[in-house]
Amino acid sequence: MNIAVLIKMVPDTESKLEVNDGKLSDQNFKYMVNPYDEFAVEQAVQFKEAEGGKVTLLTLFSEDNSIDTDLRKMLAIGADEIIALRQNEYKGDKPLANAKILSDAIKELDVDLILCGIQGIDYYQAATGTMVAQMLDIPNISGVTKLEYNNGTLKAKRQIEGGLQTIETSTPALITCQKDMNKVRFPALKDIMMSKRKPFTNKTVESVESNDIKTSESSLPPARDGGEIIEGETAEEKVNKLIEKLKMEAKVI
Amino acid sequence: MSNVLVIGEIDGTDIKNISQQVAAVASGMGEVTGLVIGSGISEAGMKLAAGKIIMADDESLENYDPVKYASIASYIVKENNIQTVLLGATSMGKDLGPRLAAELNCGYIGDCLEASSEGFVRPNFAGKVLARSTPKEAVVATIRNNAYPAGEAWSGSVENYSGNIANSTLNTTEIENIGSGTVELTEASIVVSGGRGLENAENYDSMIRPLAESMGAAAGASRAIVDAGWVSHSHQVGQTGKTVAPELYLAIGISGAIQHLGGMSGSKYIAAINKDPDAPIFKVADYGIVGDLFEILPILKTKF
Ligand SMILES: Cc1cc2nc3c(=O)[nH]c(=O)nc-3n(C[C@H](O)[C@H](O)[C@H](O)COP(=O)(O)OP(=O)(O)OC[C@H]3O[C@@H](n4cnc5c(N)ncnc54)[C@H](O)[C@@H]3O)c2cc1C
Ligand SMILES: Nc1ncnc2c1ncn2[C@@H]1O[C@H](COP(=O)(O)O)[C@@H](O)[C@H]1O
Repeated sequence: MNIAVLIKMVPDTESKLEVNDGKLSDQNFKYMVNPYDEFAVEQAVQFKEAEGGKVTLLTLFSEDNSIDTDLRKMLAIGADEIIALRQNEYKGDKPLANAKILSDAIKELDVDLILCGIQGIDYYQAATGTMVAQMLDIPNISGVTKLEYNNGTLKAKRQIEGGLQTIETSTPALITCQKDMNKVRFPALKDIMMSKRKPFTNKTVESVESNDIKTSESSLPPARDGGEIIEGETAEEKVNKLIEKLKMEAKVI
Repeated sequence: MSNVLVIGEIDGTDIKNISQQVAAVASGMGEVTGLVIGSGISEAGMKLAAGKIIMADDESLENYDPVKYASIASYIVKENNIQTVLLGATSMGKDLGPRLAAELNCGYIGDCLEASSEGFVRPNFAGKVLARSTPKEAVVATIRNNAYPAGEAWSGSVENYSGNIANSTLNTTEIENIGSGTVELTEASIVVSGGRGLENAENYDSMIRPLAESMGAAAGASRAIVDAGWVSHSHQVGQTGKTVAPELYLAIGISGAIQHLGGMSGSKYIAAINKDPDAPIFKVADYGIVGDLFEILPILKTKF
């Protein structure tokens, strides 16, 4: 089974978020592999180990090469190659445009299964995967916490309100991966050394016009002030005061 | 005035409350058409506030299928000259929304906190940045639960869907209810969350779950205890978990790491119990108790 995994490089969670004149500044961002995409890589490698085939990692990003080291770690987990699409004007908040470029690139590959993360932890759009599926005219299953493959049939469990929906499909299909899916392995030193020799191809791609919605203004939510620490002689007294405040002041219980 | 399509969701025999919230938002934006997709919809589908309701009622539509549902919705958008499509930001809405936007080649705005004819506001970086947009073109948007109150249920004319339904290889074989009777995290008006301060899974089960149950709340968790395997990821609140915005968020034995705050700082009130007076959670909590949770929780439990 040949699998493509779509990897988004996102600002790491410690990155400082600054807004100037209604614009989010991305000057000091350090990038990492989107955490959900790591589950996708692990799943792809597990399928490859069981079924044979190849795992190709595909990312669309700017020309900034500082991401390469972090991206290569995914090869150490067991993926076979990386194709990095480099776009001068790349922006992570244009799912329609990005899905178009990614789906065109996927058409060049010979894959049965496409794995994505459920969402990028940058803009939280959870959109690109499903859009790619539509553009390739294949089905998608999103928010999958368990994925099995048997004799050409994929069986996925996805989180829905209050439960799990089990869906089966033949391939080709696109799956977006949710956290509980698997445990991402720690690569052995040997695998890390090996990964340095695996192919890492950079390709330049042009920007495309799209109907993506532009953000007209970014802002930081009003800061929350720390409220009051409830004092009391005993635990009982503190609890009583808390209940009183939740009832009378906040009116939430 | 624009034409707005609301895609409603059925929960058993009733239209979901979130769909009624979305219909209320839509009525402020223009002429509303409702679409309800499912099998054996009947009366339930008519409880969506819309001048016209289209029902796509077919055995093959019983369970959500993105391929089929998107084909129906895009047909209706084109037939009815719809400019704006609104859905609830549910497991279905968040899946169908972007697929439909791609099919219509229009923009997508997910998980909106605000939506009106003035524009949309959605969270980036788990709510640490808010992004406003004022699209002039057609758009598909999903709206977060509890962002708006539900409107009154009334219905205009009802039509049956007469277009095609796409073929799909997807086949739902099972719907499993987990934790039935408990409240869904993202829909709850109170969330009681536990963290590493609880020390082990047994304490989560014997202290957090019963407290949540007696408060009519949903039980949440920090990532630390999800990673430790005490609870499943469906309980995780934060940047790589669920974003919640209940009336009351009660954080117990949770330090308040930035990634956790990302998922709950939109809550109306936050209360925290932690033995460390310098825990960052107190910087966002409206009410804090500094103390040992093993002493405080048993007392708190007696109050509900
Ligand atoms: C990429 C990335 C994504 C992440 N995403 C998330 C996410 O989505 N959600 C999330 O929660 N975290 C997330 N994290 C992890 C986050 O950084 C923290 O590690 C985690 O939130 C800590 O969980 P905790 O508060 O339960 O544990 P700790 O930080 O260990 O805090 C335990 C707290 O319990 C208190 N305590 C201990 N004993 C008692 C007692 N007897 N009585 C009262 N209080 C007590 C302690 O004072 C302490 O404050 C992420 C991290 C990374 C790097
Ligand atoms: N620029 C990109 N390059 C590769 N994959 C991407 C890119 N953007 C999004 N994806 C994939 O789509 C998923 C959802 O991203 P998003 O729609 O941005 O929330 C991610 O987890 C990735 O798997």
